[in-house]
Amino acid sequence: MNIYINGSGCISPQETAQIGPLFATLREYDQVRLSTVDPDYKQWIDLKQIRRMSRVVKMGVGAANLSMEEAGITMPDAIITGTAYGCLDDTGVFLNKLVSQQEEMLTPTAFIQSTHNTVGGQIALLMGCNAYNNTFVHRGFSFEHGLLDAMMILKEGSAKHVLAGGLDEITNYSHQILSRLGMYKKVAVKTMELLNSPETGTIAGEGAAFFTLSTEKGAHAAAELVGLSTIYKPLWEGEVIGEIVKFLEAHDCELGDIDLLVTGRNGHIDHDEMYEEVAAALFPEHPEACFKHLCGEYPTAMAFGTWMANRMIAEQDVPAAAMFYGQPPTKLKNVLIYNHHQGTHHSMILLRAC
Amino acid sequence: MSDLKSQIIEQLNLQEVKPEDIGNDDPLFKTGLGLDSIDALELIVLLQQHYNIRIANPEQGPEIFHSIRTMAEFITAQQKQQA
Repeated sequence: MNIYINGSGCISPQETAQIGPLFATLREYDQVRLSTVDPDYKQWIDLKQIRRMSRVVKMGVGAANLSMEEAGITMPDAIITGTAYGCLDDTGVFLNKLVSQQEEMLTPTAFIQSTHNTVGGQIALLMGCNAYNNTFVHRGFSFEHGLLDAMMILKEGSAKHVLAGGLDEITNYSHQILSRLGMYKKVAVKTMELLNSPETGTIAGEGAAFFTLSTEKGAHAAAELVGLSTIYKPLWEGEVIGEIVKFLEAHDCELGDIDLLVTGRNGHIDHDEMYEEVAAALFPEHPEACFKHLCGEYPTAMAFGTWMANRMIAEQDVPAAAMFYGQPPTKLKNVLIYNHHQGTHHSMILLRAC
Repeated sequence: MSDLKSQIIEQLNLQEVKPEDIGNDDPLFKTGLGLDSIDALELIVLLQQHYNIRIANPEQGPEIFHSIRTMAEFITAQQKQQA
């Protein structure tokens, strides 16, 4: 049974909400923290409702709407979100008030809006969708496990159209804390030079990407979601390499069938070592594209990578801004996306042109 | 009443609403500003934070929060009692 990506939508630090060729207007940054380029959310959200929504909720609602518009549906049979941090900004607001007001006179809005499933709930509320609604909060696997749930529901036949996506926001507090933990570079780096910066640390990012999945091919479907696999804390690179080989075999795909490898290189020398090992062992002559210099690092960045790969297949083109190694392939049939978050959460997704 | 309108706009994050847009006698809920039950809780907190007033009887809520004028009258009456 095939699962088609009938529509996709993305809000990111690039102008991904606009119609047009992928990265036609590239946003280049010279900083260690990337923020989303926000479209006019009022096109999807009523003014009375938008006032209570934090950025991540608006991002999610926007990306979900873009995805469904492309798929040509107004009501999915299931809504599944994956987020590691959830509505972090509202969590910060609520906790701050808890401390500053000595646990008294706390307003309800920030509390209500601070839960991880707020985004999935708001998407459902806006469209009046009473169907299955689930949110996965599994750190670097949040998006992947959401997608896995969507695939299982579709294969069971209990839903025809599933809206699934991943999203996370970065706030001043989380950026400060993660900076202290050494996650980000100490000095600003140009985004287009990030992947060749020989230091530790990466750049912070955020965004939302949603996919309308179905077992029926839609008018705008360009790719099918062939498979997904995850590995938690592999002992060494050989385990990842072996898993990729097994994963491809399971989907009747050989290494030579892969037209493009898309990796989650993020400019952190310790993190990128794994991508080097995988590319050298399995794909030494394959063209490789990357995405985290465009969207930044965050636990659900794989959603952006998947969105980008799907768009590349649709356009049968790899923009120069995304290319990392080799020449852009002339045809894009099979695209393997391999990503890991902080060296612990490894995942791979196989997309195939349809 | 102008201060009260500004406080409500800030507390409820009423984007693109100015104090002069809210009539003193306009209903705050449903047909007027279109506030809802979550806003009602926010208004109760507003009264506590800004005026140190607690609503003892929740059944008075619809009457107190009917309009800016009814809220202002309630605040004035409570302040007189406190003085």
